Amino acid sequence: MKAVTANRLIDGEVVFWKQGAWVDGFGDAQLFDAEQGEEVEAAVAAGKAAPTVIVDPYPIDLVAVEGLGLAPVSYRERIRALGPTNELLHGKQAEGGAVVEAIRHASGAARSTGRVDLIRRK
Amino acid sequence: MYQYDVIDREFLTDRSNEFRHQVVRRLAGDLTEDQFKPLRLMNGLYLQLHAYMLRVAIPYGSLNARQARRLAWVARTYDKGYGHMTTRQNVQFNWIKLKDAPDILDALAEVDLHAIQTSGNCIRNTTADPYAGATAEEVDDPRVWSEVIRQWSTLHPEFSFLPRKFKIAITGALTDRAAVKVHDIGLILRRARDGSLGFEVIVGGGQGRTPYVGPTIKQHLPAGSLLSYLEAVLRVYNRHGRRDNIYKARIKILVAALGAEEFGRQVEEEWAKIDQGRADLGDVELARIRGAFAQTPFETLPARSEAFEAAKAASPSLARFARNNVKPHKKPGYAIVEVSLKAIGQTPGDATADQLDVVADLAERYGLDDLRVTHAQNLVLPHIKLDDLPAVHAILEANGLATANIDLVSDIIACPGLDYCALANARAIPIAQDIAKTFADPDRAETIGELKIKISGCINACGHHHVAHIGILGVDKKGEEFYQLSLGGSGAEDATIGKILGPALPADRVAPAIDTLVDTYLAARQGEERFLDTYRRVGLEPFKEAVYAQAD
Amino acid sequence: MPKLIKLVGAKDEHQAQWAEDAFVHVTDEDAIPEAGDVILSLTRFQAEGDTLLSSNSRRVGVRIEPAGEVEALAYDLPRLSLVALAFPKYRDGRAYTSARLLRERFHYEGEIRAVGDVLQEQAGFMVRVGFDAFEPNDGSSPEAWTKAANRFRHVYQRAADVRPIAADERAAQVEESAL
Repeated sequence: MKAVTANRLIDGEVVFWKQGAWVDGFGDAQLFDAEQGEEVEAAVAAGKAAPTVIVDPYPIDLVAVEGLGLAPVSYRERIRALGPTNELLHGKQAEGGAVVEAIRHASGAARSTGRVDLIRRK
Repeated sequence: MYQYDVIDREFLTDRSNEFRHQVVRRLAGDLTEDQFKPLRLMNGLYLQLHAYMLRVAIPYGSLNARQARRLAWVARTYDKGYGHMTTRQNVQFNWIKLKDAPDILDALAEVDLHAIQTSGNCIRNTTADPYAGATAEEVDDPRVWSEVIRQWSTLHPEFSFLPRKFKIAITGALTDRAAVKVHDIGLILRRARDGSLGFEVIVGGGQGRTPYVGPTIKQHLPAGSLLSYLEAVLRVYNRHGRRDNIYKARIKILVAALGAEEFGRQVEEEWAKIDQGRADLGDVELARIRGAFAQTPFETLPARSEAFEAAKAASPSLARFARNNVKPHKKPGYAIVEVSLKAIGQTPGDATADQLDVVADLAERYGLDDLRVTHAQNLVLPHIKLDDLPAVHAILEANGLATANIDLVSDIIACPGLDYCALANARAIPIAQDIAKTFADPDRAETIGELKIKISGCINACGHHHVAHIGILGVDKKGEEFYQLSLGGSGAEDATIGKILGPALPADRVAPAIDTLVDTYLAARQGEERFLDTYRRVGLEPFKEAVYAQAD
Repeated sequence: MPKLIKLVGAKDEHQAQWAEDAFVHVTDEDAIPEAGDVILSLTRFQAEGDTLLSSNSRRVGVRIEPAGEVEALAYDLPRLSLVALAFPKYRDGRAYTSARLLRERFHYEGEIRAVGDVLQEQAGFMVRVGFDAFEPNDGSSPEAWTKAANRFRHVYQRAADVRPIAADERAAQVEESAL
């Protein structure tokens, strides 16, 4: 699965594409499956066509988190979707909820060891 | 301290208005992001992972109480209540909105603060010894010369579009607290045999992808010729520095390619052609700037304070603080007080708005209205009376600011890393927190002694990992955070680039590995050796064996 | 609409205006036109400049790329009406040094024109190092250039212009208050 993300020009907030609009929460992001490559490209193009609203739109890969939902594959994108891991009440994660839990419990698709996830703080 | 006059203030107003105009044009679509980015960067505004980050210059790391309170106000009003001190003596705010940035710059300009040239391919904020004007070691006050350079480099019409960023650091003391040998230009104030003041000029040091300890290209530059000589160095660099590859564009690459001798020759050749009478600052202006720093109203005091000695004998925590955070002052009866922003478990270098206000109050009430930011991400109250130390310590302690760990194992430098920074490959802050917790016992930390751990979240090396006794570099290994350890670096007067210990470690094995390194050092230590001394004597191997044997 | 902006008026107060451009940029592949003022590359100038100049019927300018050294023009400068300094990217700052050297070291008094990726944001820097003509790449107007060139009431360092620097202003203030 994929989603499309960017930063909003006026405040730098991380946003996600949802049916023609840009929304703040990863949980609200429109999800694209492997068949929908053209729609992903269209969303990126829509972002590029709105340079006074959005900066640098791009697609991100998602991974399923067992029993919890979806999360970005890369930990960089997970930190963008949550907020900094040293201040757990700052950024999007402050709201808490199932989406935040899913991202915090996600493990990278590229993981080669059995190590516990990288994002969750001890 | 230097006070801005009407000229400096009007300049900041003009600059702020210019940026406000540029933001309007960007939001209206008259400037593209590609055109706008270099403009906002030259005003210290980055787009990071979660928001814009504003990097405010603290010229030569020096603040007064009013300025510190204004930073606290910005943190409360426009950020989430904290600021982050950087390794270049700047302050960063992590949660800034583009639409607020012009108002913030106006508010900063009211107290003579700005964000000019805190980013971009220009001459950056000049850094200096945070003990300037307070330490008995210095031959001259580096703030004088930093201020000369601040003015000269501000919107320099020839040198604002250099091949790459350009950082200058100055020390007037033999003990180097400004890492001058790993800067694009490092200046060490010295007196010649005839007593004349001059600079040893070091060019082409640096960290990042290709670390170098910079070579000296001039042993004794007469102090009054500083600006003409800098013009010559910058001109040679502007013309001949590489522009085809961002990783090879710093002056260190040019100096290394030409050799220090040939680079020095080209600078001399250019310098000889410059009209020095025109390029150098006149004596009157220099005296004006010097005068501004010479007016610290010290009192005449006895060298020993009975009140302090008695309080110290009665309070183990004050005694510990005095051992680690209180440094000798040039004036009898005064001390330099380091305020650690490295409480165990804290984000290194972060100060809350409330803490900034507390330190501002202390500076105003007890510290001659003077406050410093260090490249090690701590604060300094440079002029505290010994008599006042017990009171100052008590207030610091009540506000979580009395951690007695300066230069000890838990006084860790860490860049913001992947928790905030768009360039980072891995996080730095949680690693620092883990290590600090491992060494939370203050007795053990004192037993270990001086040990400088520095962490960078990517190869750009903002966390100075190359010049750490133990350096830690975050790398992305197939999508996971890994950390490469290096040993034996130093950013001080004995500057050295550290050597890589071995294969990178996963995040959860970093703190245990540091523990192993420390145990290895303690077992091998002779006499009063610091970690660095023992490493230099025994070499990398025993440390490598200990860490990787444990791993298998 | 003309695309050339020139500085007019006093040297310490920059006024920018649209200007007719008598010069034609001639690339190395183009034939040199029969008549009219031309701007040639340094290479082309070194090969054909003497002939063109000796005909005396037209003015000749030379275009210097960022890596080109203005020292190469030292001998010919008195005969050149114009030196065009190229900005392939606006972040390439070598031409600022070239302009300063032309004015300060070689005392060149002809036109120094900024060509290429030329934006109004550079105006303040350009006028201080000696540029007096601009081919803006951002559609900006002379009004914008006038404003940008005069935005800062004070400057801190000596350059190729005659503006008093902050130190001069302070010295003048001291003198005034001493009277």
